[in-house]
Amino acid sequence: MRDLGKRGQLAIFVIIALVIVVGIVLFFFFRGNVTNVFAGAFSPNAFLKDCATKGINPDLERLAKQGGYSNPEAFKLFNGEKHTYLCYTSENFKTCVVQQPMIKAHFEQELNSIVKSKADQCMRDLIEEYKKRGYGASVTGVNSKTSFVPGNVLVSFNNSLTVTKEASETFPGFEVKVESNMYDLIFIAQSIVDYESKFGNSATELYMQYYPNLKIEKIKLSDGTTIYKLSNVITKEEFDFASRSLAWGAGYGTDK
Amino acid sequence: MPQEALRGGQVTGQINKMLKKISLVIIVFLSLGVLMAGGVLAADSTDPTVCCEQTKSGLFCQDVPQSQCKPSARQLPTSCASTSFCKAGTCYDSNEGTCMDNTPQLVCNANQGIWSEQSPAQCGLGCCILGDQAAFVTLVRCKKLSAGLGLNTNYNTGIKSEVECVLAATSQEKGACVFDFEFERTCKMTTREECGGQSASGTEGEFFSGKLCSAEELATNCGPTRNTICMPGKDEVYFVDSCGNPANIYDASKLTDKDYWGNIKSKLESCSPNSENGNSANCGNCNYLLGSYCRQTSSETGKATYGTNICADLNCKNTQDGGSYRHGESWCVFNDEGTTGKGVDSVGSRFFKHICVNGQEVLEQCADFRQEECLQDKIVTAIGDFSQAACRVNRWQDCTAQTDKPDCENSDRRDCLWKGNTQLFVQTAGAAASTPTNGACLPMNPPGLKFWSGADALGVCAQGNAKCIVTFEKGLFGGEKCKDNCQCLEDTWTKQRSDVCINLGDCGPNVNWIGEAGYKPGYNQSIKKA
Repeated sequence: MRDLGKRGQLAIFVIIALVIVVGIVLFFFFRGNVTNVFAGAFSPNAFLKDCATKGINPDLERLAKQGGYSNPEAFKLFNGEKHTYLCYTSENFKTCVVQQPMIKAHFEQELNSIVKSKADQCMRDLIEEYKKRGYGASVTGVNSKTSFVPGNVLVSFNNSLTVTKEASETFPGFEVKVESNMYDLIFIAQSIVDYESKFGNSATELYMQYYPNLKIEKIKLSDGTTIYKLSNVITKEEFDFASRSLAWGAGYGTDK
Repeated sequence: MPQEALRGGQVTGQINKMLKKISLVIIVFLSLGVLMAGGVLAADSTDPTVCCEQTKSGLFCQDVPQSQCKPSARQLPTSCASTSFCKAGTCYDSNEGTCMDNTPQLVCNANQGIWSEQSPAQCGLGCCILGDQAAFVTLVRCKKLSAGLGLNTNYNTGIKSEVECVLAATSQEKGACVFDFEFERTCKMTTREECGGQSASGTEGEFFSGKLCSAEELATNCGPTRNTICMPGKDEVYFVDSCGNPANIYDASKLTDKDYWGNIKSKLESCSPNSENGNSANCGNCNYLLGSYCRQTSSETGKATYGTNICADLNCKNTQDGGSYRHGESWCVFNDEGTTGKGVDSVGSRFFKHICVNGQEVLEQCADFRQEECLQDKIVTAIGDFSQAACRVNRWQDCTAQTDKPDCENSDRRDCLWKGNTQLFVQTAGAAASTPTNGACLPMNPPGLKFWSGADALGVCAQGNAKCIVTFEKGLFGGEKCKDNCQCLEDTWTKQRSDVCINLGDCGPNVNWIGEAGYKPGYNQSIKKA
């Protein structure tokens, strides 16, 4: 009996110890920045990735829904959203004229102009973070660039960061990858625009057969405009645009 | 336009009253169709069409009325195809290695592209081998894709089709590439070529064809695990070894099978190769064409016995029409009031194509105003019929120009149907006897019309106008007797004429897509004494 009592006591101590350990873990977990707690050393890459992801994603989503344009000039308003014409003809029975042959480059340019200040701020925040931790930190100019690569949005911080305490370390630059499948959606959109300009109407099933994670919604409006909504069924990312090609019009199609 | 307008039911009574007053000839004139606002036919000759560099709405190179062109933009009174700045050609993106046709010169140049009238040599396609994947792209694109994947460029211009290209990639010899890394004997699954020391990824080792990295005899630090992965470009769920290399297709019963973890097995040698294995907990031999694909487990898919991936069922069940369809199948849907293919379609009705994609039913409209119709057929396969639908142009335009049944019903040329005992256009006195017409050729699916504006609707509906000259003969002792075209005075004639009108398009007394009749009769009928 005494032996059993000792065992019970031991079990209670073990349970209490576990509760304390779990409590400490949860405390730090909800306090945030769990990576730093467990990693011990501060990671500038992780800091920049976290900062860049928060800064880029809302703008990326907004621009992607407008065909990569922040303020499109030529667009079709549908369900309260602006869908940029990437290919258009004002005439009936004719294939469209390409309005943007370099969708990726233009999207990158637009995204850069919007998020550059945020990305640059991330670098300044990194320096502040180092200073808070008692390091000396300096950077040679603040310059960032955003680009699309397969599977990611790449944010390149092209500046040399020097961190000093007892010794000094220099980082020649940082490349942060924000997970995104926008690269694929952009090139599928480009292919659809090419198809529309040649043949007037794209075969969306073919694209969906080739790309298993792709969903294409094609909405044909009565003025001959087609709204394309390309999305990744896994990540739910979306790229939308409009096209007007080989429109028929009502009747003989002679009315404008 | 005639002044008197009578509803169908009232026509006969009114005619009977009038008959008493008619002495010799009356003309029954039925103007079917729409009442158009005056003045719409007049063309706007003060606003000539120009090729406009940029319109006020920001569109480039459009043939539009001059008033729509940006004042600061270049404009020429000719078509854009004839101008130098808006001439369409191929725009080459030297950074990405992509080519875009039908791009105006100024649009291409403004985006730092290289424009040429004809497709340049750089736009020629070849086969780009990317590990065990392939892409049929330009050389620059291949270099870009290879660099992104950390591979050397393997480009073959001798392969002229995408199918050959895919075959070239899948036929590569695969196996385990064993090498030393940080004083450990490790391994990577790759092709013989990649293993040979040419790889940008730095692997340079001994190649064991057909072997897996987890094979015991290779004595590497890679061993079996219970984990699975989805591979880019592959349908199936794969076991993964402790080094992160893909092993064979996931099969719960082979978790501890040494041979299964030692040698590469083909899809046919794996579990249930002829089944889709949708949501199967034990077999990861997914088949995209049959409707399953490797995905992470979820509440919809259920759990796998081992690992976090499963063959997700992509087929659609309980669709809008109540049926079940396989992933990739498409079918036609016409949900509006009325019928299709019988010459009577309700106003505003439209054809829809539905597609089953990733377990979701996606709908795609065919062109509005019934300028496209949906066609459906099926492909007979070993596992059952596979439904395919397409929106195809409605070829109704020249139906009324056909005067005989074979031409009318020539489905290679047009989508029309022959309506017997019906005539189009004017019917004159004695015409029925002298030139008997056995029918009229009308659209199978009449087009929708913008009957509220423009001149197009008037042109289409006017083809249903009919004038019937009824001749009466006075009796010797008073009274008169109908002699020619007496049927025009009957209700059935009015009904027949209004039906012709409905057959022509959105004309006459039709109902709309929710089954509601219009507020107006849809036609005018007037009777005049000649």
